[in-house]
Amino acid sequence: MFRRSMPNARRNRRMNRSNQLSKAVETVETMEESGEQGTELVSHHGVILKSHKSYDCAGTLSLMQYGRNKYIEWKAAEVNVDSDTQDHEWAVVSTGRSSRHRSNSECARAEPLRLNTVNLKSFRVSRHRYGQHLTFAQRGESRSFITFIFHQGNADVFVKSLLGQLKAYRSRRDRNLYDLAEEDSQETQELRRSFAELNLFPETAPYGVWNFIGQFRQRPYEATMGAFSKITDALLYKPAENDDSSVAELLNNSLMEEDAVIANVSGEEYEVIGSKATPILPSRPPVTRGAPLSVERWAQATAEDGRVTDVTAIKKIIFHGGVNPSLRYEVWKFLLGYYSWNSTYAERMCLRKSKVEEYYQMKQQWKSMTPGQEERFSDFRDRKSLIDKDVKRTDRVLSFYAGDDNPNVDLLNSILMTYVMYNFDLGYVQGMSDLLSPLLQLMSNEADAFWCFVGFMDRTCTNFDMDQAGMKLQLTQLHTLLSILDPQFTHYLDQHESGNMFFCFRWLLVLFKREFTQENIMRLWEVFWSDLPCPNFHLLFCAAILDSEKETLYANNSGFTEILKHVNDLSLKIDLDSTLSKAEGLYLQLMNIESELPDSVRTIIGLEPLNPVDGDSENDSIEDDDGDCSNHTEHDSSIETVSLGALGGEVAFERGINFQYM
Amino acid sequence: MANRGGAAQRPNSQTQGKICQFKLVLLGESAVGKSSLVLRFVKGQFHEYQESTIGAAFLTQTVCLEDTTVKFEIWDTAGQERYHSLAPMYYRGAQAAIIVYDITNMDSFGRAKVWVKELQRQASPNIVIALAGNKADLANSRAVECDEAQAYADENGLLFMETSAKTAKNVNEIFLAIAKKLPKNEQVSGAGSANQGRRLVESDSSAKTAGNCCK
Repeated sequence: MFRRSMPNARRNRRMNRSNQLSKAVETVETMEESGEQGTELVSHHGVILKSHKSYDCAGTLSLMQYGRNKYIEWKAAEVNVDSDTQDHEWAVVSTGRSSRHRSNSECARAEPLRLNTVNLKSFRVSRHRYGQHLTFAQRGESRSFITFIFHQGNADVFVKSLLGQLKAYRSRRDRNLYDLAEEDSQETQELRRSFAELNLFPETAPYGVWNFIGQFRQRPYEATMGAFSKITDALLYKPAENDDSSVAELLNNSLMEEDAVIANVSGEEYEVIGSKATPILPSRPPVTRGAPLSVERWAQATAEDGRVTDVTAIKKIIFHGGVNPSLRYEVWKFLLGYYSWNSTYAERMCLRKSKVEEYYQMKQQWKSMTPGQEERFSDFRDRKSLIDKDVKRTDRVLSFYAGDDNPNVDLLNSILMTYVMYNFDLGYVQGMSDLLSPLLQLMSNEADAFWCFVGFMDRTCTNFDMDQAGMKLQLTQLHTLLSILDPQFTHYLDQHESGNMFFCFRWLLVLFKREFTQENIMRLWEVFWSDLPCPNFHLLFCAAILDSEKETLYANNSGFTEILKHVNDLSLKIDLDSTLSKAEGLYLQLMNIESELPDSVRTIIGLEPLNPVDGDSENDSIEDDDGDCSNHTEHDSSIETVSLGALGGEVAFERGINFQYM
Repeated sequence: MANRGGAAQRPNSQTQGKICQFKLVLLGESAVGKSSLVLRFVKGQFHEYQESTIGAAFLTQTVCLEDTTVKFEIWDTAGQERYHSLAPMYYRGAQAAIIVYDITNMDSFGRAKVWVKELQRQASPNIVIALAGNKADLANSRAVECDEAQAYADENGLLFMETSAKTAKNVNEIFLAIAKKLPKNEQVSGAGSANQGRRLVESDSSAKTAGNCCK
């Protein structure tokens, strides 16, 4: 604990300074005496200092730079309290020496507080009924903690900023704990030496203290527990020299402290976040949607021989506003790679002719299967049966597919069956009929719809991997993006068994097909197919929807089931244009701090990694989405297999989820 | 959409002695009617062309027994084999399961047996399993004999009913039968499975609910 020292503190301050115990916490006056001008690096208002007694006071928490050192500084907001002239200061309670005298007037007055980060060991964020707590733990065996309360629950934001300024390691076991890298500054050494002067371990000092520090580095948990027992010893055997109440309280609080760091400290439990770990996003720029690609603009971009010029500009228009519905029939064939942008009318006519022939050739293959053949061909039979089951219930509420014996349902069936012959290994997986339905509705023509579907599947086939590797990768990438875009929300999800992002499974599997009307899904897909402004824009779109929903989730304190239900129930309630604008805004925010983005994020949005390393973590790997579907079959040598080691294929995804979150 | 059949009765007042909450998962081959059974039970509706379930759906429904109100948290899953790997996420910690097959499709009955085995091996040891032979309205095209399924259910200690989400036949009944069979006593049901009753009703009056069941 940090607490006020005795009122007549001038003398004590000198004393404390002489034994260096107050190094971690110094009064602002002290610093100002030295005449240093500080630079404010990070600042957060409305933060409450949780003092030892139930005395709370709001103020500003900042990270300040004075000279070479950085300090956590807290200053009370203007308070209308009679300030007596007594000289107060905050000081660390020395483990034994400083006695504890508190007057009422002290509690009514909040002195500024300053912690040299060199002397801080770790910090941890915890959620409480009223907002979040940020607790700093001091280095050394005094086990001092100081806690700040963020009533708005946005301690994460402050932490994120801190991580940009301080070198910290995140504990793997406790995701809310950050260990501050130790810097062997002169001051630290002085502080350590001061422990020796404490004479806390009279039988071995100073050797015992150095030994402790060494042990602490290697085995912090055991070493600290050892130190506790020694403090107890000191308490028991040297009662006259120790203020037992303060020591007892220290021990008690350290052991009981809800934010206690002790149990989580272990050498290999940390991952390096790096000195510039979580960059701070600038505010989101306003983004407006544009008009759809017009007939005139399309005509203008089409050369006399039919080549589409200005493809980049056309794609930009499509990204910002989509395609005029009357042009979709034509433009989609380009977007989906059926036609090349550079082809002439004549070439396209020729291509189409051969593609139509090829389609009917493949269709003939399954059509001509005799019952006997079928009976001996179970893989084929299985695929056929799956398709039969699904086409009957795909978009039957739309007039295009409604009613009994609707020929369009048969077309859906034919195209999917032909796709089975085109890519037998992938075959048919639930969800594919959803992807085909709007294409067929638009194209009407069976062969054209088929080839557009082939193009669409080339983009999305990893969604249907046998081992779910493609889905798992996207869910992981979404989590990675969110952790930069919205650390607080990501933290919330992690805390509510939802860090697996599984509630977005349906969104991603069928690219929001179940979330929008047919008209809107066409608009959304063509925006995605523009491949602008970056790869995986659909993940930013997910993040944009979640951004709109998070307040509701917070308010209801939703857990895994509630989040999934809420997200499922969003179907047909998401506003397309504003969500697209927000998603683009998120992209612009990221690009504003491009150089600060970690490689895990850079690769997701198509930026070159800054520090390409071989065999890096799963987040840094990115799968080629444009790969040939035929490569993605039963047991893809996927990211998942790598990250989960021995767990193979099918169970891996489930395990991956269950291990961590269920 | 037909609207007859009605949803299960809701608890009419606070007079019930206990409120128990159970996690129930629906499993079974694709297109056997899992979602339709849930929709009938929860909303009293039926859609002839109920769309396939992607990922999972989550619904709740409450039924009243004599002295107990049972709240089901129902997880409705995607049936296709490709998504099999996700199923453990749903049946983990479930106190009840309905394994559904289509009486007009012998393969779906075979698949149901595989699910039974999997649950017996991997789910909570005390899980109450019910077997539902759905699409009983299509008895003309029956492929699975009722006796055969009943015998199988008896052998394996399963509840069994032939149901029809379309006509509502036995839909509420099968959920009620499960509710009756579920242990209403924390000590009994809580034994041996760490995850049981993990989820509490946070939105409801928390004083009334704890674990599986509270008094």
